[in-house]
Amino acid sequence: MNHRPFDDWLLADQPLTAQQTRDLQAHLQNCPQCAALAEVNLALSSARLVPPQAGFTDRFQVRLAAQKRSVRVRNFWGFLILVVSVVSILTWLAWPVLKIVLQSPVDLLASWLSNLVALWASLQAMSHVSAVLLRVMPGFIPVSAWAVLLLAAGGCSLLWAFSLVKLTKNAQGV
Amino acid sequence: MTDVTAWIVQAQHGDDEAFTNLVEAFQTPVYNLCYRMLGEAGAAEDAAQETFLKVYQNLGRYDRERSFPTWLLSIAAHHCIDQLRRRRFSSISIDEDEEGQTELPDRSAPDPETEIERKQEKDRLHRLLQSLDPTDRAAVVMRYWNDCSEDEIARTLHLTVPAVKSRLHRARRALATLWQEQAARSGPRRRPYESPAF
Repeated sequence: MNHRPFDDWLLADQPLTAQQTRDLQAHLQNCPQCAALAEVNLALSSARLVPPQAGFTDRFQVRLAAQKRSVRVRNFWGFLILVVSVVSILTWLAWPVLKIVLQSPVDLLASWLSNLVALWASLQAMSHVSAVLLRVMPGFIPVSAWAVLLLAAGGCSLLWAFSLVKLTKNAQGV
Repeated sequence: MTDVTAWIVQAQHGDDEAFTNLVEAFQTPVYNLCYRMLGEAGAAEDAAQETFLKVYQNLGRYDRERSFPTWLLSIAAHHCIDQLRRRRFSSISIDEDEEGQTELPDRSAPDPETEIERKQEKDRLHRLLQSLDPTDRAAVVMRYWNDCSEDEIARTLHLTVPAVKSRLHRARRALATLWQEQAARSGPRRRPYESPAF
């Protein structure tokens, strides 16, 4: 049996004309398949929404609070694991030094102090030598050498200023 | 700005009370979709609650240009489809879990017999729905219970409009075939379209 256009009419959202309704009714009397489709369509169209049991929102709030709590706990444990991991890795990397420190902390402290004192003494000696050199050197260098040195420094400064002006002009042109 | 839009904006700024208003407003369509999809009250309650939790977590990503109910139903439908796929091979008895949830016949109605018949028909339809493929079922539920257009169903289920049309047609035909088989087993009865109201 040809079910077209009856099944299209049955499932269409638009209202049918009087003639179409009569034709459809006549077809439904003789076609059990389309009759079942009509019944299903009618049952689906008249079906109502099933609401949840009362207190759905309250139950949701309880669930949301529990979830927020579990997220907080998870975040805390995550942070703790991260901190423990970082501390463990740093300890593992620094273990050779830590081992020495733990074995003889006083010796290590004394060695660090003596190194600091030696460094301080070296710096002081270097500053003395520099001061003496600055005081003595001008007497050894002739006046002509100073003139050449000054001229070279002036030339370099001019060259530097010229290139700076040139570069700035080029940059403005862009 | 409508109430719903205002609640969405407030909820996106961290107002839990506004989100509670959204839950209050949309609990029935979401629960109904889950119930029709999963076929049992307990699972539907869980799925609806999970849907709202997902919405709460992802509300910041919601695009206000989209329809909120469509977005909400999309999350619910996909959650239910996932649930059904997970339990595909386990058999579930609808009868055991429906206690206290199915619509009871209204004995005070003018015609209790018609009311009982109507209730039986709804139960029958509910059972038949469970025989459909999850995506087809979601399309049918959204079309008939949530009054979604084919375009909205397509966007919700990530399908094309012709695919939705084809799925709806196939699903209704499948339901009609099962309906016919059950009717043949239960004996002759008056058909609704034979009534003068049809």
